Amino acid sequence: MPSVKRLRETSTDTATSIATTVRTERPWNVVVWDDPVTPMKVVVVIFKKIFGYPDNKATQLMMTVHHEGRAIVWSGSAERAQSYCVKLQVAGLQATIEQDSN
Amino acid sequence: MARLFVRRRDGRIEVRLNDDGRAVAREAFGHVYAAEHDPDHDWHRTLNAPIDPSRDSDDPLAVLARQTETGSNAELAIATLHEEFLTDAEAWAWLTTLQVSLRATASTRGIFDQDALAASDPELLDYIETLQMFLFALAEVL
Repeated sequence: MPSVKRLRETSTDTATSIATTVRTERPWNVVVWDDPVTPMKVVVVIFKKIFGYPDNKATQLMMTVHHEGRAIVWSGSAERAQSYCVKLQVAGLQATIEQDSN
Repeated sequence: MARLFVRRRDGRIEVRLNDDGRAVAREAFGHVYAAEHDPDHDWHRTLNAPIDPSRDSDDPLAVLARQTETGSNAELAIATLHEEFLTDAEAWAWLTTLQVSLRATASTRGIFDQDALAASDPELLDYIETLQMFLFALAEVL
C-alpha cells in the first residue's frame, strides 16, 4: 500500500533527523593536560587571562589538572572551543578539544 | 631571593634580570622563534601538537592562527629582551614564550612525568629550574 510506505519513510526520516540533531548539539570540551614542568602559578595566570576566570575558579581548575591529569576548562561550541584551545597552546599549555560524550 | 620582575606604581613591570638571566631568556625566545619558522627544528613537532586528536588533521586556519600568535609573541619577546621596563602585553609575550620553551625543552628530552624530570641530567634540570623561576616570577606580577 503506497500510503503506508510513505508513512514509514516519513517516520524514519524524522528519527534520523532527531538523531542528527542530538549528535551535533553535544558541546565541545577544551581539555588541559598535566605536565611535569609547568609551574602551578603559571597555569592559574593563563586561565585567568584567557577565560577571564576569577582566581578561585582558575586555581580549582589548575588543581584538577594537577591531581587528575586533566581538566575540562571550558565547554561550548566547536568554533569557540577550537579558538580557546589555540590560545592555550600559544600560551604553552598542553590542550586539546573533544566532543562531550554525554 | 630577590624578585626578578617587579610591578611598579605606574603599572609597568621592571625587569631585574642580570646579563646571565637575559642570556637565558634570549636563548629560550630564539629557539621558539626558530622552531616556528623551521619545520626541521627539534621543537617543531611539539609546537604543532594536535588540537582535535580525533581528527586526522586540524583546521588549517586554527593551525595558522597558532603559528602566527606564537611567532608574534616570540618576536615581541626578542624585541624587548634588553628593556628595563615591560608593558603587560610585553610581559605576557615573555611569559608565553618562556612557557612554550619550557615545555618544548622537556618534551623533546622525553620528560613526561616527575620521575623522568628527577632523572634528567643536572645541567638540563638546572636550565629547566631557571626557566621555571623566571615564569613563576612573571606570573606573580601579571
